[in-house]
Amino acid sequence: MRIEILISSRSIDLQRPFLEYLDVGMGALASFTGIVRPEEDTRTITALEYEAYQPMAENIIRRIIEEIATQHPCQFVGVTHRIGTIPVGQAAIHIVASATHRAEAFHMLSQFMDRLKQDVPIWKTRAHDQDPLVLHPPQ
Amino acid sequence: MRVLLFAHLKDRIGHEEFELTLPGPTSADELWRLLIATHPELGSFRPSVRLARNGEYADRHTCFLNTDELALIPPVSGG
Repeated sequence: MRIEILISSRSIDLQRPFLEYLDVGMGALASFTGIVRPEEDTRTITALEYEAYQPMAENIIRRIIEEIATQHPCQFVGVTHRIGTIPVGQAAIHIVASATHRAEAFHMLSQFMDRLKQDVPIWKTRAHDQDPLVLHPPQ
Repeated sequence: MRVLLFAHLKDRIGHEEFELTLPGPTSADELWRLLIATHPELGSFRPSVRLARNGEYADRHTCFLNTDELALIPPVSGG
């Protein structure tokens, strides 16, 4: 299984076809994109800020993918997470998974997102609107 | 030991990293005592913050050294 991880402040290229990662025998290519919504904690916002502990985040992401793949084998998994200021309507995360059958690819996407939100050291830190709102998660 | 802070911890302490000197190999519990002694405002965050030693989550059995990089990991919110 090939894994590609990118954590960057650059806009995520959602048009990239990942064709170079398609193997013979692969029957499914699935993707998920997480997009910044215009509301955060009931407030209307214009953007979110993200930060990451990047070296650890990359290692944890890789480990999560490898663990999920023991139950749901995939040929390729690519994860791109954007950090910095992300305007509403733009992608914060994009994940692509290829597998022999669609079930493995769908399971990889779903379980990866669940695990990301538990363990990967990436945070939403601020929401931007007319009055910048600092996000403080519950204690 | 280099101590890294993220998210609201960074805002509360006022900087993104600081140095902490350990007396020797140190348990997680003793490390927290040292952290709170130097930065009392960290005390209220202890229940929700995970420790990471050199980029790996620590547990109560982890032993910390002065040469380690410590990160205080508040509840994550990526994606």
